[in-house]
Amino acid sequence: VTRPALPPVIDEGTLVPRWGKVVDQTTCIGCHACTTACRSENAVPLGVTRTYVKAVEVGAFPEVRRSFQVTRCNQCDDAPCVAICPTSAMHRRPDGIVDFDKASCIGCKACMAACPYDAIFINPDDHGAEKCNLCAHRLDVGLEPACVTVCPVGAIIVGDLDDPTSRIAGVVAETPVAVRRPEKGTRPKLFYRGATRATLDPLAARRPDGGLYMWSEQGPGVRSGHPDHGGSSAAALLAYDVVHRAPWDWRVSLYTWTKGISSGAYLVAVLLALLGQLDWSGAIVRRDAPLVALALLALTGAILVADLEHPARAHYLLLRPQWRSWLVRGAVVLAGFGAALALHLAGAARVTAPFGVPLGVLTAVYTGFLFRQARGRDLWQSPLLAPHLLVQAIVAGAAALLPLAAAHGSGVRPLAVTLAVASAAHLALVAAELLAPHGTGHVALATFELARGRYAWPFLAGLLLVAVALAAPWIDAWAAPAALLGLLAYEHAHVQAAQAVPLA
Amino acid sequence: VSDEIDDLAVRVSAARAAVEARGETFYPGASRIHLAAFPPKERWDSWVELDSRAWPRRVERRSMLVPTTCFNCESACGLLAYVDPDALTVRRFEGNPEHPGSRGRNCAKGPATLNQITDPDRILYPLRRVGERGGGQWERVSWDEALDDIAGRIRKAIVEQRPNEIMYHVGRPGEDGFTERVLAAWGVDGHNSHTNICSSGGRAGYHWWMGLDRPSPDHANADVILLISAHLESGHYFNPHAQRVMEAKARGAKLIVLDTRLSNTATHADHWLAPVPGSEPALMLAIARHLIVTGAYDAGFVRRWWNWQEYLACERPDVEPTFEAFQAALVALYDGFTFAYAAAESGVAEETIAEVARLVAGAGTRLSTHTWRSAAAGNLGGWQVSRCLFLLNALTGAVSTPGGVAPNAWNKFVPRPIHVPPHPETWNDLTWPDEYPLAMNEMSFLLPHLLREGRGRLDVYFTRVYNPVWTNPDGFAWLEALTDETRIGLHVAMTPTWSETAFFADYVLPMGHSSERHDVHSYEQYDGQWIGFRQPVLRAARERLGETITDTRQVNPGEVWEENECWIDLSWRIDPDGALGIRRHFESRARPGERLGIDEYYGWLFANSVPGLPERAAEEGLEPLAFMRRYGAFEIARTIGQVFAQPVPEAELADVATDATGRVYARSERPVSPNVVPVATPDSDAEGRRAVGVEVDGAVLRGFPTPSGRLEFYSRTLAEWGWRDQALPAYPRSHVHPAELAPGEMTLISTFRVPVQIHTRSANAKWLDEIAHTNPIWIHPADAAALGDVRTGELVRITSEIGHLVARAWVTEGIRPGVVACSHHMGRWRPGEQGQRAAMASVALGHEGSEWSMRRLAGVAPFRSTDPDTSRIWWTDVGVHQNLIFPVHPDPISGMHCWHQAVRVTRAGPGDAAGDIAVDAERSRAAFDAWIALTRPASAHSPNGERRPYWLLRPLKPARHAYRLP
Repeated sequence: VTRPALPPVIDEGTLVPRWGKVVDQTTCIGCHACTTACRSENAVPLGVTRTYVKAVEVGAFPEVRRSFQVTRCNQCDDAPCVAICPTSAMHRRPDGIVDFDKASCIGCKACMAACPYDAIFINPDDHGAEKCNLCAHRLDVGLEPACVTVCPVGAIIVGDLDDPTSRIAGVVAETPVAVRRPEKGTRPKLFYRGATRATLDPLAARRPDGGLYMWSEQGPGVRSGHPDHGGSSAAALLAYDVVHRAPWDWRVSLYTWTKGISSGAYLVAVLLALLGQLDWSGAIVRRDAPLVALALLALTGAILVADLEHPARAHYLLLRPQWRSWLVRGAVVLAGFGAALALHLAGAARVTAPFGVPLGVLTAVYTGFLFRQARGRDLWQSPLLAPHLLVQAIVAGAAALLPLAAAHGSGVRPLAVTLAVASAAHLALVAAELLAPHGTGHVALATFELARGRYAWPFLAGLLLVAVALAAPWIDAWAAPAALLGLLAYEHAHVQAAQAVPLA
Repeated sequence: VSDEIDDLAVRVSAARAAVEARGETFYPGASRIHLAAFPPKERWDSWVELDSRAWPRRVERRSMLVPTTCFNCESACGLLAYVDPDALTVRRFEGNPEHPGSRGRNCAKGPATLNQITDPDRILYPLRRVGERGGGQWERVSWDEALDDIAGRIRKAIVEQRPNEIMYHVGRPGEDGFTERVLAAWGVDGHNSHTNICSSGGRAGYHWWMGLDRPSPDHANADVILLISAHLESGHYFNPHAQRVMEAKARGAKLIVLDTRLSNTATHADHWLAPVPGSEPALMLAIARHLIVTGAYDAGFVRRWWNWQEYLACERPDVEPTFEAFQAALVALYDGFTFAYAAAESGVAEETIAEVARLVAGAGTRLSTHTWRSAAAGNLGGWQVSRCLFLLNALTGAVSTPGGVAPNAWNKFVPRPIHVPPHPETWNDLTWPDEYPLAMNEMSFLLPHLLREGRGRLDVYFTRVYNPVWTNPDGFAWLEALTDETRIGLHVAMTPTWSETAFFADYVLPMGHSSERHDVHSYEQYDGQWIGFRQPVLRAARERLGETITDTRQVNPGEVWEENECWIDLSWRIDPDGALGIRRHFESRARPGERLGIDEYYGWLFANSVPGLPERAAEEGLEPLAFMRRYGAFEIARTIGQVFAQPVPEAELADVATDATGRVYARSERPVSPNVVPVATPDSDAEGRRAVGVEVDGAVLRGFPTPSGRLEFYSRTLAEWGWRDQALPAYPRSHVHPAELAPGEMTLISTFRVPVQIHTRSANAKWLDEIAHTNPIWIHPADAAALGDVRTGELVRITSEIGHLVARAWVTEGIRPGVVACSHHMGRWRPGEQGQRAAMASVALGHEGSEWSMRRLAGVAPFRSTDPDTSRIWWTDVGVHQNLIFPVHPDPISGMHCWHQAVRVTRAGPGDAAGDIAVDAERSRAAFDAWIALTRPASAHSPNGERRPYWLLRPLKPARHAYRLP
């Protein structure tokens, strides 16, 4: 049987352009006109930016040059911000522009965590996520983007990448062009001509000392460049960059922790009951564990909502769901888990367990999938992340239940042993993460910040406290606060360290 | 608009066709697609766009597009204001595609104009000081009160024959001659400029060659571009030149850049030469020698257009007066400037110099060169930098050729205004002292010292868009002068924004920014002539809406005015009944006896003095003024070419006399030109015939406005006025030549600019402040290591001749070892409440005996204002005010302040804090005396009993008789 030939691409299809952009660093004079023209066109406040001009000095006098990179959204064909956005506020238009809709944005900052280029920010005026959208509002009335129009040397051009007769297609096809971080597989449609690795790779240039660039301060937040002080001055030196911020703050670490306690309390109790170590009808399994789980789950939800820039739009997660997003999937899991806990409390503990346990496990681990969806953060791409979250949940759950068991005077032993074993597993997983070869420079830097850099204090304190819990069989309930505090400190260090790596 | 077509792609591809089908203008952009760079001009009355903040909702927004001209740097690029026709406010600024110089494009400072007009710290009402001058207390006064007081004092000074006590001191003029004519109408020699701290060195070198003081390089058509400047990122004419330099590079032109530190321009150079500061002339002369000894110069051009005969006659009577003898002399003159010698002087590798020389030799007449401030502004004898640079063009014949360098006046058009008052009858020794008969411009930065010496006093002193306390060297001397009412009776600061100088004023008069004032200007940015119009955009917008506006204050915020209307008003107050003969220069021509209005002033100018404009306007059914209000710019001519080689018309050649060197004089009236661009005025011959041209191979050609009519390789003027040793392009020894430095001293380069700031005028632009707000000391790692491993961010102390400062270090490979650099613009301060809170540190000033000091009390911090952004200010450091520790260094010839400093760099001490300044005024006075001692005063050296060679350019040139030495 011969298949019929594919029908020719219909006219309407060919008319839709695939917008791309070329920045020609061989002519860019580093004047920052694009920066201010963009601010003016899009009313971008101070402290955040849709585009800026990064500068790096490369070489040693007199063979030294300053390299520029007009830095902004890459208009990825496979955009992580679109995949992770729970409400489709970040979306890809049919013409390839990755655009955003402030009306749908709940301000979860997942797009910012996901973007491998740190190109998205929350606008402090309207609390919505935004970035370069190729000045879609201008394109749609027949005007070039503001940065293209202002550029004194015509270094920025836009055009239809699918139209072989367009200037942009010619540049992309016939001259050596590069994209930022191609290893991320995002298929950017912003191509750089003549950009050097020193600017394209956010870790190729050394971060200057003293919080200073050549004519500005580095400012607060995540500082760019590689913090290594060992390199010679002949290496690349970051000479100008802007203020960057970690999108997810303590609330995300806290919610991961409360969620761990919630899922862990339930899982530990039910699993120990299934193993016959706890009594189904005992206070722990019947009442305390699901109550703790439900309370912490509610707290988790509250923290999640509080972390939103638009808390009043939290329901968009379920009303405007974008199903690829693990935020949406996670919300469903949390809801399901909550329902399971309610059933359990209603007296159907044994009946609930077959789906309650999987929901509990999903509740514990889905954050691992969410973090993995944040493709910009290499530290979170570890396959061990999800199992590790489950182990942490077990530690947290056992620790949370242990004092209750002690109060009841029953079930202490199995909980203490569980706590000790899970703590040992946690420490082993941490060790594995530290000692395993670092897949990328980003992982190496994040690990450095975690173990020896900015977050060494909470990290080490966290490990020591969890190590105390190894003694749970001997010190019983006294191990609980140490384990819980230790997990919180570790979680905070881990979440922040992953975001401490400059991406732009 | 949004409903016309739904499908995206169809919409976009149809856009161009639709625009053109409607008979509208399509402005192509860099992308070369169907997207336009700008809305069609036919729709500028009512352009419908989509609101970027409402996006992706399609909220339509109507704007009226009104052109004006940027007032940040000198480039005067076109701007297009998007005016909200309902709220009558400016939404934003883009470039003006109708502007021939900037062609619709801008640098960062263009869009940031929006910040300047909405700046919450701007001055909105006239203010009068309360309490002592500089005490920081102000009261609001009416314009009438302020102007009556000021006018009364001026009138009194004029009536009492004290014209020299009235002085107007301008930074960026941003206009072509309006205010000079105001002063001429008052009959005072009261013009003072900033030029001697800026471009006098660069100008002088060009002036001695051509009789015109600015270069007009045709970068776009050059094969080799040689810059001793950073014109891809700053300076005159940054954006217009950068466009054309990069176009040339894209064609394959080679770019050579001399700069001791790594500029953005240097980074684009095919050959970056980072010379020892002050050695630039040696490098140029080595290239010149290469051209000479290899015969790679245009001997025909040199024979026809150099004043070699005059040189031989004056300096080499021993040789035959033949061109061949001159060629031989030329070889001998520069024989010492071998590549090896230049390499030893400059620290640049010999092979690099040789390669650059070969490139220059191969450029033919497509050699585009440019310098403006840079080394010419840094070194004693720095004017020889531009003189030696232009020598390369003079040798290759790349003068007014495609891709060569023209004198500016031929690429500039200054329309003759409605009234031209006569030259003042007086000479002001405070600006043109005896010691500096050859200074290119007013000895502005010496003013406090000259006042201190009792050489005069000022009764009314205007500063306008000028901040001498901050910008000039020796700022504490300015503080002393400004706070002494016996030296300066009344200080009036005309400014849109607070400055360190305005703090020490008696009146602060708020003036408009670029979109709030009228000016006309024209700059040499390519081989053509254009004029640009700056206008209050809300005035133009409201007129388009049918309103009648008679005073720019009706549309400006608060009571902000513009200078032009203010000058007319003030002049009427000085001479209310016309008895002093001043008022007539500010009267309507249409309605004699009535006040001249701005519409009539510019209407007359555009209708009568701009060739081609009335006709072009008529094509659109517009009056010339309406055309300029609508489009903001007009190109008068393109491809001017070699004006000097044009034959002198027969009509001018009456009673001709030709001197021994071929200078042609004739008795004929100077043809009246609508273009009143300043040019030098070579003297008449002894019988009173006017210099009309030069004889070249039997023809009488226009030549150059120099005494000889030719390019003056040899300046007889310099020789006759006491500087025979500097009469040829030469390599003078800079005050920071390595041999002049004491052991342990380094050279500090203090003049470099960053692309996003412009002196002290842009601190009111938050977007620019965010990008650049501090000025660490650039130091090479080797030098930093020698100071005990100083790291970036650590404090260093820089000690000059008169004091020291403390600043942070920026350790970089982008600077020559042995040299340190600190950028301009930063280190702004305020002693009181007023000021630019986003960019000025709060400081405490100390003064005890001759010791001055400054200590930072607080850096910048977020604050609440009408603009939510001010609460988001995240930077704290604003750098150090380095100019305070520089003594005056007046070049004895050009008068240029020689900015480079010999300094000692050390690690900061335990008591030092960032921003600290200490200066000993005694030592600053000693430095003044030492540099004055280098001069050769007119009273001792004038060959003709005059104060200054009359032919030289001079702002507000007085009548000839005022030139007589007393």
